[in-house]
Amino acid sequence: MLLAFVLVTSLSAQSLDDGTLLARRALGVGVSYMHEDWSQYWEGTLKRSNGNVGNVSTQTATFLSAYGVSDRLTLLAMLPYVWTDASQGVLHSMHGVQDVTVGAKYRLLSTPFTDQGTLRAIVVAAAGMPASDYTPDFLPLAIGLGSKRAGGRLTVNFQAHQGWFLNTSAGYTWRGKVTLERPSYYTNGQLYLTNEVKMPNVADYVFTAGYQKGRLCLPLSFSWQNTLGGGDIRRQDMPFVSNNIDFTRVEGMVMYTLPSPRDLSIRFGTSHVVDGRNVGQSTSFSGTLFYLLPF
Amino acid sequence: MPLVRRSILLSLAGAAVLGALSCDNSITSLEVLPPLDAASTDSSAGSWQMIVLSGPTQFTVAAPAAETSAAYLAELGAIKTVQANLTAAQRQVIEYWSGGGVLRWNEIARGLVARFSLPPAPRADGTYPVPDPENPFADPQFPFANPPYAARAYSYLAVAQYEALKTAWYWKYQYHRRAPAQVDPGVHALVPLSNLPAYPSEEAVLSAVTVELLKVLFPAAVEEITRRAGDQRNAALWSGKATASDIAAGLALGKAVAAVFVARAGADGMRTAGGTPALWKALADTAIAHGETPWISQETPPRPPMLPNFGLVQMWLMTPTDGVNERPAAPPSTSSDQMRDEVAEVRQTVDHLTHAQLAIAQKWNDGGGTYTPPGHWNDITTEYVRDARMSEVRAARTFALLNMAMHDAAVGCWGVKFLYFNPRPTQLDPEIKTVIGLPNFPSYPSGHSTFSSAAAEVLTSLFPAGAADFASMRDEASISRMYGAIHYRSDIERGKEHGARVGGYAVRFGQTDGAN
Repeated sequence: MLLAFVLVTSLSAQSLDDGTLLARRALGVGVSYMHEDWSQYWEGTLKRSNGNVGNVSTQTATFLSAYGVSDRLTLLAMLPYVWTDASQGVLHSMHGVQDVTVGAKYRLLSTPFTDQGTLRAIVVAAAGMPASDYTPDFLPLAIGLGSKRAGGRLTVNFQAHQGWFLNTSAGYTWRGKVTLERPSYYTNGQLYLTNEVKMPNVADYVFTAGYQKGRLCLPLSFSWQNTLGGGDIRRQDMPFVSNNIDFTRVEGMVMYTLPSPRDLSIRFGTSHVVDGRNVGQSTSFSGTLFYLLPF
Repeated sequence: MPLVRRSILLSLAGAAVLGALSCDNSITSLEVLPPLDAASTDSSAGSWQMIVLSGPTQFTVAAPAAETSAAYLAELGAIKTVQANLTAAQRQVIEYWSGGGVLRWNEIARGLVARFSLPPAPRADGTYPVPDPENPFADPQFPFANPPYAARAYSYLAVAQYEALKTAWYWKYQYHRRAPAQVDPGVHALVPLSNLPAYPSEEAVLSAVTVELLKVLFPAAVEEITRRAGDQRNAALWSGKATASDIAAGLALGKAVAAVFVARAGADGMRTAGGTPALWKALADTAIAHGETPWISQETPPRPPMLPNFGLVQMWLMTPTDGVNERPAAPPSTSSDQMRDEVAEVRQTVDHLTHAQLAIAQKWNDGGGTYTPPGHWNDITTEYVRDARMSEVRAARTFALLNMAMHDAAVGCWGVKFLYFNPRPTQLDPEIKTVIGLPNFPSYPSGHSTFSSAAAEVLTSLFPAGAADFASMRDEASISRMYGAIHYRSDIERGKEHGARVGGYAVRFGQTDGAN
């Protein structure tokens, strides 16, 4: 029921789906903190609450870094630490290092477009894997889904001279099978006599509109995630690692680069899931500090 | 773009693609069963001791037509016609069922239990609906195949199959009719054939006895069950193993035997195992009157306890008096120093759980939505039966002994649970949190420990070479309940001892039933 299972989307300006890159030889490091919680979820397509978990909260502290290999190529890495907790019931909270993600953003194109602004196209290749031996078989309180992932993404960005911008991004993530500790499981209408779970792949789309001028950036995003297969949570069952998780989410952010110290930017964001399937209707709040080292 | 950077980019992209390709997503979901080539035909199985039936002649199978009769020759011709036009789908059906009917039906039953082992969701007013066998397709679906229900279901299937096959074996060796592929060289044997007589067809017996019981135990799955039973009979026909008359005789015999067990299931006490609100209250009042803290449901909203009268359900190999005599003593008082120490041990364990301990808790979780602890032991047994290349009747005996022991263990364990109505660790110390689902019934003694110990006793007697493995699985399954924070040490220890005593009844039955 965590949302953090696609290759991390909107963590910061230096995320995988935005339209920006670092300057050549620029090195940035950052930390972010996110609090996310839900008290209603979709059991398949049935929206409900569950007194045995109450409000399920997830806190994520992420270390991120980015490096500009050239003006056209930025490398990124992220490593989150996750805590989960349920406000009701008897289920144990979980915490631990989740998945490491590395990626490369490459600018295919940057060209004046009309006399209004600049058009950019960016491709991203990214891969991730669990960075600890956490269990994925304790949803909704597991800290992650435990699969290796690799994905690609194409982002097209239009930045107007006046400051407003549009960003569209489409990604596809391949996910490797997950190994459980138990010798069988039931999902999608079938008993599987194996400890291995085939994970469906994931497509996602992000559409962002915003304003960027000087030190300020104000993006507003709609994102859709579509898991390409997997079963629904059965009536009164626990969620399962390969569930067909879909959701639509809105997200807003404020980013500001401080005048002093130079090159330190701060971001605040909030997001809300407006519709979903086999997922919690979560609301999140996040804050990020990102510092470009004088280098 | 400078060459070095292009190289970096390409290698990154290449790594991502390779990473994706190395995500090999293929998995094997079914039991891997080679075509059954039984080590022995067990030709004396018609004289092995019955459990419920009076003997193999309780049901008579009429003599078949001669192998030279026109009717039989026509049946052979029909098989040849089918075999000349076998589709890939038909060959798949043959291959699937060639692994052994008892093993395949056990696998299917585990799938049904996993499909139905989910509790009803609460209503908006905080009450819980009761699954209704007269309306099995509704929400909640019928049944809620919880561990006692599952133990009983596995046992009915296994015992009915076993009795039906012993009867079939008896009649097979009365008539000695050969398999069609042995009578007519024009009929191909598409599966291994032995000198086991074909009339009545063991596949048809199995399909009929199983389908009639499954229709009662899992009525909402009638469509799948009926289709699979038809597949099994077709596979026997298409593979040159049985003719239409072999199958018809088996079908009739299987149905007749099933009726005995369906009648028994209707009167074994299961219908009233859920109890009433008055009973639920009386259980708590009794515990309070004894100065004990009574169990309460820790679900939200509180759920009635699971099958409080299951301890009164009829057993297979034990009388009600045996059941009472084999019970463990009372648990430590909820106000005793021992209980305080045992609560502390659970809390200390789960709050410092190692990765290996969590893995064990999850491996043996067998909670809601799974094939349950009895299903787990059927899963374990499957590989031993397969590797021993047991005939269908001996495989059925193995599962009958195993599942009678686990059913009797469930009845015995539930009787004790509701005698003492003992609270779970999470109730006595609200700081204790679990890493597996908390079962909604009293703690003492541990059901998984009781099931596992009974199963290990039976399997050790049947597969002595596996003794050490069964003991280690029994111990791991039992202690997994402390790692999961749902049981105290004394629940586990007394449960294991109780399970071993109950398992002893099936072991002793198996030592003198004529099959050794």
